[in-house]
Amino acid sequence: MILTNNLTKSYGGLTALDALNLEVKEGEIYCLLGANGAGKTTTINLLLGFLKPTSGRAFINKLDVVEHSKLTKQYLAYIPENLMLYPSLNAIENLDYFSGIANKSFNKKTLQSILTEAGLQESAFYKPVSKYSKGMRQKVGVAIALAKDAKVLLLDEPTSGLDPKASFEFGKLLQKLRQKGVATLMATHDLFRAKEVATTIGIMKDGQLKQQWHVDDISLSDLEKNYLETMSYNTIEL
Amino acid sequence: MILNTLKKESKELFREGRIRIAFIFVITLTITAVFISAWHYKDINEEYVFAKQSEREIWDNQGEKNPHSAAHYGTYAFKPKYPLALIDQGVDKYTGTSIFLEAHKRNEAQFDEASDQTGLARFGNLTPDFVLMFIIPLLIILIAYNSLTKEKEMGTITLLNSQGAIGFKLIFGKWLAIFLPLFVLLFVLFTVSGIILSSLPDFGIFSWLSLAILFLTYVVYYAIFINLVLIISGLVKKSGIALVLSLSFWILVCLILPKTASNIAEYKHPYPTKQEFAANITKDKKEGLDGHNPWSEASKALAKQVLKEYGVDSLSQLPFNYDGYRMQKGEEHEAEIYFKHYKKLKIQHSNQSRIYRQLASISPFLPTRFLSMSIANTDYTTHWHFADAAENYRIETQKFLNEHFAKESKYGDWSWKANADFWKQLPKFNYKPPTLSEILKRNTGNILILLCWLLGSFAVLFLTTKSLKNVKV
Repeated sequence: MILTNNLTKSYGGLTALDALNLEVKEGEIYCLLGANGAGKTTTINLLLGFLKPTSGRAFINKLDVVEHSKLTKQYLAYIPENLMLYPSLNAIENLDYFSGIANKSFNKKTLQSILTEAGLQESAFYKPVSKYSKGMRQKVGVAIALAKDAKVLLLDEPTSGLDPKASFEFGKLLQKLRQKGVATLMATHDLFRAKEVATTIGIMKDGQLKQQWHVDDISLSDLEKNYLETMSYNTIEL
Repeated sequence: MILNTLKKESKELFREGRIRIAFIFVITLTITAVFISAWHYKDINEEYVFAKQSEREIWDNQGEKNPHSAAHYGTYAFKPKYPLALIDQGVDKYTGTSIFLEAHKRNEAQFDEASDQTGLARFGNLTPDFVLMFIIPLLIILIAYNSLTKEKEMGTITLLNSQGAIGFKLIFGKWLAIFLPLFVLLFVLFTVSGIILSSLPDFGIFSWLSLAILFLTYVVYYAIFINLVLIISGLVKKSGIALVLSLSFWILVCLILPKTASNIAEYKHPYPTKQEFAANITKDKKEGLDGHNPWSEASKALAKQVLKEYGVDSLSQLPFNYDGYRMQKGEEHEAEIYFKHYKKLKIQHSNQSRIYRQLASISPFLPTRFLSMSIANTDYTTHWHFADAAENYRIETQKFLNEHFAKESKYGDWSWKANADFWKQLPKFNYKPPTLSEILKRNTGNILILLCWLLGSFAVLFLTTKSLKNVKV
């Protein structure tokens, strides 16, 4: 579902992403770990078609994201670190609007059931989202993805700033989507959550994918050790 | 996507306190302005009908009198208050409401409303055109300045882009959400004005079609303003900057450019001062025939020519009263002088209008203002039209009186008096203002400029949609 082939992005002399090759298949969750500036967000921007690659190609559902920019967006959903919705509208209205943008139209009952599926409490449906916590907004983001029936989910540090319970619930939602066959690429700093939800984990540094494991092939402690080593952190000092 | 965005934007707009307050404020202001104008219009209308009837009664009941005395006694031509002046008062306040029609002299319109007011009038009146031309564009700025910047500031634009939002559809949805409430407001205002006007006794010149075209003019004006504010909102990143730029634009097009246009026009094509104008006319008059002075060289030459033409030896042998004939010739000569000097003024007016039209290409306010005043019959051109009609009537009146004097009396008999019923034979002054098609034809330039602004601003707005695609996470 997601495929990058020597995907590279340079700004003048600075290479933000260097020949990235990765694949996320249907029903897989790929967690990209890495420090700020490692190239995670650049990867997501390239897959979203917000940036054009300097070289290499990226595919969503076998379609080149540059050549078929509009078409590929039909298959993907995106949840940023801080999902911003329209504060004066409630969850139902926000979901209705963003679904409409993706040419999907639902009645109120269906919108409610999608929000319920995304884990949002019924009592919050008609409250303006200005009163929502970050976790609640992320759930609306998942609802938007569900409503769109997205085949690909791009997440940019979605659990950052969430309390453990909200982060756990979010992880459960991702598992639910995975069971539906959604291919997810998640950029995160959260090693624990990555180990919890991912099928594949990769570590990026300086725009390069340094290491990659199937989740069953690495323990959390080894993941942490490898991560710190890749980042060139001195574990003893830390 | 367009309807979806329209629905969402409308909800957002009317849930925002500042927008609700602004709308209530503008609606209150508009209703007050229409009410004040309607009341004022009704007053002026009644005064006009009363003055017109009274003046005619005075004229008709002069009793026995020498026609030339009646010519000096004079009468008034009253300028009607046009129904659409309720919406746009234009320059009516400064142009005067009546012209004194007398022998030998073309008078300016007098009794203008501005000179009857105190110095406080300098602050201006609350009129619908003030709300339409100045306040509603401000309301547009208030509604639209952050329409696109807020999407960038909040980050919702990235979510929209990831959902596959199409720039121009998104912007058009937003455009409609701003435009439709204003359209409804304007429609109600014009419909109420139309109902008020059609229920008042008018002068046969109110037409729903004129009102509809005036309505369209403002619709186009607001569409242009919405486009320009959205372009600014699309090009900058911060709402604060968009607000400052939009307000600066408003100040420039609504305040600075019209005043600059006025200064440039007056500098490049100045009108003569009243003293110069009067002195030039007096000079020309002196050089020609004075109907009152039989001893001048021009009078003597005229007498000689008439005697020769009729083959008689003395003026008393002519088949008419030569005094009346000379008076008429004197009038004709003076009328030519006035025509010549007023033509110069009109040329200057037309030169000044050309400057305005040139500057209209950088301000949509100017063509809208001129078109609105023209349709409402409250512009200078309509005033000229009225003044010319009054002058023609004055010339015809003098001819009517002089010919009667010449035909019915004998040479040298200045004590002769016309019958008391004679005055009623003078046709009434029935002024017909320019028709709508004449007005539109005269304003072709303004209409074209306004349409260029509309299409041009839509084109730039369309190009602006591209800037929304480049917003990154």
